Amino acid sequence: MERDEVIELVREHLAEELEVDPGRIEEGTRFREDLEADSLDLYELVMELEDRYGIRVTEEEATRISTVGDAVAFVIERAPA
Amino acid sequence: MAQSRPVTIALDGFGAEQGFDVLAEGARRAAADGIGVRVFGPERSLALDGVDGIEVIPTTEWIGNEDDPVHSVRERKEASVVRAAADVAEGDAAAMVSLGSTGATMAAATFGLRRLKGVQRPALAVRIPSPRKPVLFLDVGANVEVRAQHLVQFAFLGAAFAAAVLEIREPTVGLLTVGEEAGKGRGEIVEAHRILAEAPGINFAGNIEGGDLPEAKVDVVVTDGFTGNVALKVMEGAARELAGAISDLAHKNVLAAAGGLLLKPALGGLRKEFDPDTTGGAILLGLRATAIVGHGSSGPEGIANAVRLAARSVKVDAVGRTAALLREGHAGRAALAGEDVPG
Repeated sequence: MERDEVIELVREHLAEELEVDPGRIEEGTRFREDLEADSLDLYELVMELEDRYGIRVTEEEATRISTVGDAVAFVIERAPA
Repeated sequence: MAQSRPVTIALDGFGAEQGFDVLAEGARRAAADGIGVRVFGPERSLALDGVDGIEVIPTTEWIGNEDDPVHSVRERKEASVVRAAADVAEGDAAAMVSLGSTGATMAAATFGLRRLKGVQRPALAVRIPSPRKPVLFLDVGANVEVRAQHLVQFAFLGAAFAAAVLEIREPTVGLLTVGEEAGKGRGEIVEAHRILAEAPGINFAGNIEGGDLPEAKVDVVVTDGFTGNVALKVMEGAARELAGAISDLAHKNVLAAAGGLLLKPALGGLRKEFDPDTTGGAILLGLRATAIVGHGSSGPEGIANAVRLAARSVKVDAVGRTAALLREGHAGRAALAGEDVPG
């Protein structure tokens, strides 16, 4: 799986759901501080990633995902090849 | 087949406190009105085989009140309420109804149906019966803590539903707080008042106080989920106690009993109006499809009314009209944050 592909999916999802300019979303972007996303927004992103890539994210793991890069790295590490 | 009906509703087959027979009877009554019903529950217990307009999708797993809602919804994809939400998301039903755990229904609906574009938090709304006119009251429990933007969005969600489903023309909207003046209340209420006072597309009537709610001073009353839930339970408890006191007095002596008999027809109508079964349940607003949270204690008519309310929301395109009003009022997430809305 290509890293760029995952980044693009996360960017598209966040831009659509949070109504922000996709250009604002980089790997270092923090969900809460930079995008004002709340726990519901993060759960929806996690569930989108689970559905798309066939991974499972526990609630504890979800709380450790704080940036776009964290989410992408998690998917790359867990998704079936 | 349920889907051959003009509107099909996904009904969680678990959660009716009075049992599967009562839930099945509620489904039958809704189907008799021409509504398609897809019931997710135990086929044998529901015994709905061959009923025109009803399809039972065998489901044996459910989420109870004792389960953690978000965790259970994420982990138990075969649970009836999760499957009902998925049925709507997949297009086999147009809206969902559950009488089970409120938290699980809200989680399943929010994750399964997804929020309307630009909506930050869905809100739970109930129609409060009042001797003068019904009032739509939200949020009654979905969001314990809110920000000003959430309250503003609740105002638009409530106004759109009141106009579309309750057929109130240009509904007036009030913000529940501790005084009528604009500066009364916590910071988020003062800020929400400021935004709503300048917002286009909404008939904002300003602040209202607790006593104005049963008096139906406005058509839609907006507050946070904590205050709303407490206020709702206080009103329900007070109404129940008052009804009991009136009944006791009417049986006190022969004269009172005679007076009670004379008043019975009028009081009977009032009792029906105040019966939770009449309203059909609470509506989760702000999603891409309608979700109704029915009363677990409902009888067959209450269950049928919950399904009818869902079907009516679909017929009048409550969701589409809500999205349109949010746009018109510049009340989407980006607009409220003062940003240009992309795309």
